[in-house]
Amino acid sequence: MSIEIQGLHKRFGAFAALDDINLTIPAGQLVALLGPSGCGKTTLLRIIAGLETADRGNIFFDGEETSGRHVRDRQVGFVFQHYALFQHMTVFENIAFGLRVRPRASRPPEPRLRAKVEELLSLIQLESLAGRYPSQLSGGQRQRVALARALAVEPQVLLLDEPFGALDTKVRKELRRWLRRLHDELHVTSVFVTHDQEEALEVADQIVVMNCGRVEQIGTPEQVYDAPATPFVYQFLGHINLFHGRAHSGWVRLGGLRLRAPEYQDARHVPALAYVRPHDIDLLREPEDRDSTLTATVSRVSILGSLVRLELLQTPGGEIAEVEMTRERYAADPLKAGDLVFVKPRQLRVFLQQDAESTSPVHWGGHGDGI
Amino acid sequence: MSASPRQPSVLPGFNLTLGLAVGYLSLIVLIPLAMAFLKAFQLSAEEFWAIVLAPRVLASYRLTFGTAFLAAAINTAFGLIVAWVLVRYRFPGKRLVDALVDLPFALPTAVAGITLTTLYSSNGWIGQFLKPLGIKVAFTPSGIVVALVFISLPFVVRTVQPVLEDLEAEVEEAAASLGAGRWQIFRRIIFPAIRPALLTGFTLAFARAIGEYGSVIFIAGNLPMVSEITPLLIVGKLEQYDYRGAAAVSVVMLAISFILLLCINLLQRWGRLRQV
Repeated sequence: MSIEIQGLHKRFGAFAALDDINLTIPAGQLVALLGPSGCGKTTLLRIIAGLETADRGNIFFDGEETSGRHVRDRQVGFVFQHYALFQHMTVFENIAFGLRVRPRASRPPEPRLRAKVEELLSLIQLESLAGRYPSQLSGGQRQRVALARALAVEPQVLLLDEPFGALDTKVRKELRRWLRRLHDELHVTSVFVTHDQEEALEVADQIVVMNCGRVEQIGTPEQVYDAPATPFVYQFLGHINLFHGRAHSGWVRLGGLRLRAPEYQDARHVPALAYVRPHDIDLLREPEDRDSTLTATVSRVSILGSLVRLELLQTPGGEIAEVEMTRERYAADPLKAGDLVFVKPRQLRVFLQQDAESTSPVHWGGHGDGI
Repeated sequence: MSASPRQPSVLPGFNLTLGLAVGYLSLIVLIPLAMAFLKAFQLSAEEFWAIVLAPRVLASYRLTFGTAFLAAAINTAFGLIVAWVLVRYRFPGKRLVDALVDLPFALPTAVAGITLTTLYSSNGWIGQFLKPLGIKVAFTPSGIVVALVFISLPFVVRTVQPVLEDLEAEVEEAAASLGAGRWQIFRRIIFPAIRPALLTGFTLAFARAIGEYGSVIFIAGNLPMVSEITPLLIVGKLEQYDYRGAAAVSVVMLAISFILLLCINLLQRWGRLRQV
């Protein structure tokens, strides 16, 4: 089932939790709502589920307006961060709950119900724990039970609120791969909320990046990572280096670097910010030509498994930049602390500073730490 | 979690606290009760049974335990509703209502008894409306129930309230998203969660009502065989200097109370065992 959201607004007192959200989620996709805490992603998910009501705006399930429908009639499966399992019921009864509370006419007979629950137990690989109570399970097992419980009612839409947020890193990785495989089998339209960019990039078909109650960008993981639409997305996804300079009549000057920027043809000495990913930078021993490189000295080299990270200090200005390269490339030309290098960004994105400031806080001359 | 004195435990002070607890309980509970038993055993077996099985005494047991049970049951139902309203809704004067709940604890029970008698007597504010319907409350066993309901009100409210407050809203939301209606959520999710607290509140109210004396004697009318409670019988025997007879009746009352409370506790444990 597809979900379409139009002009959604939600305020909590003076705080605008959601500010004009427009979004289409195609049927059968796994979509991540990604953003920092307090960006409104959970509120949006809860409004889709019907656990919260919007102040304005519409939500359509398969073209049908659902705002007036109660959560129990929406056919959504909801998975909570802290599982919200029924403590006084066994795993089996937890999963069976949605079937047992159906009106008598549509309630499956006991043997069918048992078969259905057992099928779900094998799907979550917990057949042997059917008789246990939630307090006897590990966090990862509890979340799988919560998922099976939501799937038991055959929901049209599966909504997951930070489903792996309360788990430790290893279980988290396992479980999100498992979720991806499960989605590939079931193809139920799914939306999950996360603040973990790695999780969103790895699992989702589409990522909706949110900030301060607004949608910053919607796209595939490649699109949002490689072509961030706003400075916020750049900073939020992955590590970045930030250089500041000026844009003037279609050119941007960053220290010694001069670049064509035809989109800023009309700019007149406007402060600009350039974003470069640490792995999109080449380091040269000799200057290529006057306008395409910055000069810097290596201040620190750290070897991080398969990667080598170099910290650079720009010679004029003293700004710090980070560069990442593979072990092989580093081995071909091992730079040491104190070496003079010429920095050549392979890919770089320039935003005028007034735009940048209006959308996000900026680390001056530092490097954004991808959360 | 049981710490035996041989096994070194991380928690210090096992010997000290256990000693204090046992000493305190002995001083406050065990020694006075033992006195009653000692006094009662000064009687011969025939004398003992003759006293405790006298028809008037038997009638008083029925009345005392029956009215206490009924009062506790009524308070379990209405105490749950009061606790529910206090936890779930916001309304003006909520804090006042919350404070009002504890008042029966603070009020001298005799005052409660006299006030209730005045209200429910055939020309009292409430009694005058009940009279045409043929209902007599004051000076009958129903009056006893009214008094016991009054004095045992806080127990259920105060035991259920914190448990209701701790119930996660998410669990109910999960149930709703799975298609459960309001009543189903209450019956299948909320009620099982508060059942132990409800039972505890019931037990406390029941125990308190069994021992109640002050308020009941004013409203009961105290007719032998009809509205005479066991504590009153005991006091009556004491006033006639029949200490051993009073002790004998007390011992039986204690034994019945103990057995009933034990049963409720076992029920509670059985309920928990089924869950974990």
